[in-house]
Amino acid sequence: MKEYKILSARFERPDGHKLSVYEQEGGYQALRKVLGGMDAAAVRETVKASGLRGRGGAGFPTGVKWGFVPQDAQEVYFFVNADESEPGTFKDRFLLDYDPHQTIEGTIISCFAVRAHLAFIYIRGEFGWLVDRVQTAVDEAYAAGYLGKDILGSGFDLDIIVHKGAGAYICGEETGLINSVEGRKGQPSIKPPFPAVAGFLGKPTIVNNVESVATVPWVINNGPEAYKAIGTEKSPGTKLFSVSGPVKRPGVYEIPLGLPFREFFQDYLGGMVEGEELKAVIVGGSSVPVLPAAEVMNVNLDYESLQQAGTMLGSGGMIVIPESCDMVELIQVLMHFYYDESCGQCTPCREGTGWLHKLVKKLRGGEGTPADLELLEHVCGGMAGLTICPLADAAVMPMRSFLGKFRPEFEALIQETATTGPRTRWPRGEQE
Amino acid sequence: MAKLTIDDQEYEFPDGTSLFEACREARGEALPHFCYHPDLPVAGVCRLCQVEVEGMPKLTIACNTTVRDGMVVHTRSEKVNKAVQQILELHLINHPVDCPICDQAGECGLQNQYMQYGLYESKVEIQAKVKKHKAKVIGPYVILDMERCVLCSRCVRFCNEVTGTGELGIFNRGDRAEVDVAPGVELDNNYSMNTVDICPVGALTSRDFRFAKRVWMLKSAQGVCPGCATGCNVRIDHEAGRIYRLKPRYNPEVNGRWMCDRGRMTYKQVHSERRLLTPLDGGKDVTWAAAREQLARMLEGKPPALAVVSPHASLEEMFLAVKLAGAEATVSGPANLDREDGDDLLLDADRTPNRRGLATLGIPELQSGALADRLRAASGPVLVLGGDPARDEAVAGAMEGREGLIFVGDHDGPTAQAAQLVLPAAVWAEKAGVFVNRMGRWQGFQQAVARPGAVRDGWRILAEMLSLTGAAPAFESLRAVRRGLTAKVLPEGELDMDRMPEFGFMPAGGER
Repeated sequence: MKEYKILSARFERPDGHKLSVYEQEGGYQALRKVLGGMDAAAVRETVKASGLRGRGGAGFPTGVKWGFVPQDAQEVYFFVNADESEPGTFKDRFLLDYDPHQTIEGTIISCFAVRAHLAFIYIRGEFGWLVDRVQTAVDEAYAAGYLGKDILGSGFDLDIIVHKGAGAYICGEETGLINSVEGRKGQPSIKPPFPAVAGFLGKPTIVNNVESVATVPWVINNGPEAYKAIGTEKSPGTKLFSVSGPVKRPGVYEIPLGLPFREFFQDYLGGMVEGEELKAVIVGGSSVPVLPAAEVMNVNLDYESLQQAGTMLGSGGMIVIPESCDMVELIQVLMHFYYDESCGQCTPCREGTGWLHKLVKKLRGGEGTPADLELLEHVCGGMAGLTICPLADAAVMPMRSFLGKFRPEFEALIQETATTGPRTRWPRGEQE
Repeated sequence: MAKLTIDDQEYEFPDGTSLFEACREARGEALPHFCYHPDLPVAGVCRLCQVEVEGMPKLTIACNTTVRDGMVVHTRSEKVNKAVQQILELHLINHPVDCPICDQAGECGLQNQYMQYGLYESKVEIQAKVKKHKAKVIGPYVILDMERCVLCSRCVRFCNEVTGTGELGIFNRGDRAEVDVAPGVELDNNYSMNTVDICPVGALTSRDFRFAKRVWMLKSAQGVCPGCATGCNVRIDHEAGRIYRLKPRYNPEVNGRWMCDRGRMTYKQVHSERRLLTPLDGGKDVTWAAAREQLARMLEGKPPALAVVSPHASLEEMFLAVKLAGAEATVSGPANLDREDGDDLLLDADRTPNRRGLATLGIPELQSGALADRLRAASGPVLVLGGDPARDEAVAGAMEGREGLIFVGDHDGPTAQAAQLVLPAAVWAEKAGVFVNRMGRWQGFQQAVARPGAVRDGWRILAEMLSLTGAAPAFESLRAVRRGLTAKVLPEGELDMDRMPEFGFMPAGGER
């Protein structure tokens, strides 16, 4: 069990959020290296060569995304996406809470690479305290000359604005995020154009997840080859997993990509707590298909293996589900979430998330019939892949996989409630 | 140019053409859609115009795609049809399906498209539908039924992009999303009823037209709005002699697909209680036979001493007035009437439809004092054609007590009161004619409704007066009048006024 501390070096370090500690441990050396002699193209190439893939969920190579900014662009903006809202995901808040300077340094280097002079760190509204934590760190960085005009005498200027979201899941989608900062309703825009060509204020804009940005200084310091040496060929590096559920040691873990789940589960998480059996795992945040225990025990935790297993790495928000959990109740919680968070502009998502939620509620209310299970599948068919952003898919993937992998539980519920009446236990916020 | 294949046929379109428009042309009908509108920015939210583009992993919406060379597009494949069906079903699940009491029924995008692509079994129980606000008055002309709304956002985009007034927004999210005005705001811009036109369902309906008529009972005629010098092309929707509404008719050179609310309400004047419906001699109703005798007595076989022509008259009527009184004795005015504030969209400060027609025929427009002087100086009968010049004080003074005033007009007012003989004439919707708009464009309009009472077509009244003066030739048809007119002001063969081009006729050097 080899420990990797690319991202999590200061998670347990007292005062790890302070500039003094960060500098003491080699912080801002990568920035000095970049500003001391690299040009923007070289930084982009380094990150591209490292194979770093976007850690927000889609896994798109970060360096490639940077390369989409038109070379003749005069005005470029950079956004750090800290609107971490995917159920089960709580890794970015660790990064910003315990080690904000790592992300700030990564932001400055990223901005240099894409030639941006204004960056926003967009923090989820519910993370109120994080705004203060990050703002304090940004202030420290300004005072130390890492931000502002002529950073470290290099002639490079950069300002960072810490922006607090208003609490909408959809603002984590990059165009929804940009619209929200522009003061518009937080909802995604149609693509094309993509933000890298026309984003914030119509100018080229790069939006990167906190974890991706936080990785950049290490890649600069240690080189792309060192990064590629970790993980698998197509999924290089380490990844943060935020694990919740009745395991012995839930929390945030940094592991090399490709680690077998079995090893992660047993050696890192310590297995299930006493009296609980593993039933299923949602590996990458609530939007990815669920894997039953028998399947998850054979997968490796990297993009390709998980895709092959019919699910996705996603954000790394791992939800461990015990045998004692009612899968229909769980899907009701999730369907309520997507119904509540759909921005409402695309019809399939607006109407579909509402319908799915109603149908699941109906099942739990004791009025379900076997035909409703077919109907759930039917509604999913009218949503998947037909909308501007992936929120509809994010609702459909768990719905379909729950139905597919745990259908007997749905059928048993229908039978049982026909005689005993509705389930009395309702998820929070769902009481009639 | 891009060569592409749509439904197994090859087509060529200029680069940058919207795939939606390319498909419309290729198929001879538009793809199913709610949110796409050629004059509004693309929203891409209704998701109905899905097409299959070979080489792309998923279906894609045509409205946000531009044609590419070598593209192979399928618009009627099984995959497309299934997606369209399902998306339509989702549009309908929370819709109240209250077509029997909905004004939009018969011209509703949801109705029409469901008939074509729909699934015919409802899978949703009525009590499970989302409830939203109904019959909410959001402005002087527009009422909103939110349960019928499909949230296509056309109305919102119209107010943001076309009028720039931004009264409407979409509030809340998910299936609780609603179109509404912001608190304290009304949808009261002068173009508000265009939102009713572009609303593909019965969510935004016209308060004026509400519950007035089922749309399939209406007949339509092509008109030109008489409300200002812009001359927006309109469709006159009418039935049994009554006009129910005006809708903008597409003319890219004039009004595009829009018109103003003020213009839409001009039809009310057609049915006004102030309409002149019978000839009047000395303020008393008389028959046309009696009026004709009186007219002959007044004219004594001679032309009138002066003709005062209104810019509300048609070009044909203006032409006949000049024929009748002679160029020297034909004037218009007073020039200050019917001028208000315009805007930079469609509404012109000149609130007459044919002032440019006066110039076309060389009829001078006099200021109020000059016109009053001419009226006083004229010895003999005076013809006033259309409008109501005596609304001007000086003109009214010159008309007061003056004998021999003949008014060929449509509405009662100071001029009709001052006239010895009143001959009731048709208004724009009751006759065919041509107005010349502010840019000099000749625009023809058709007769929509029958003339009420004893009202007669203006050109006939004037042609008859002309025959009383013994002038030749006699004009026996509107066609003959038009021939005379074009022969006078246009090079030979340039225009057949009975066959006006679709978007009007612009004489060489017409635009100023």
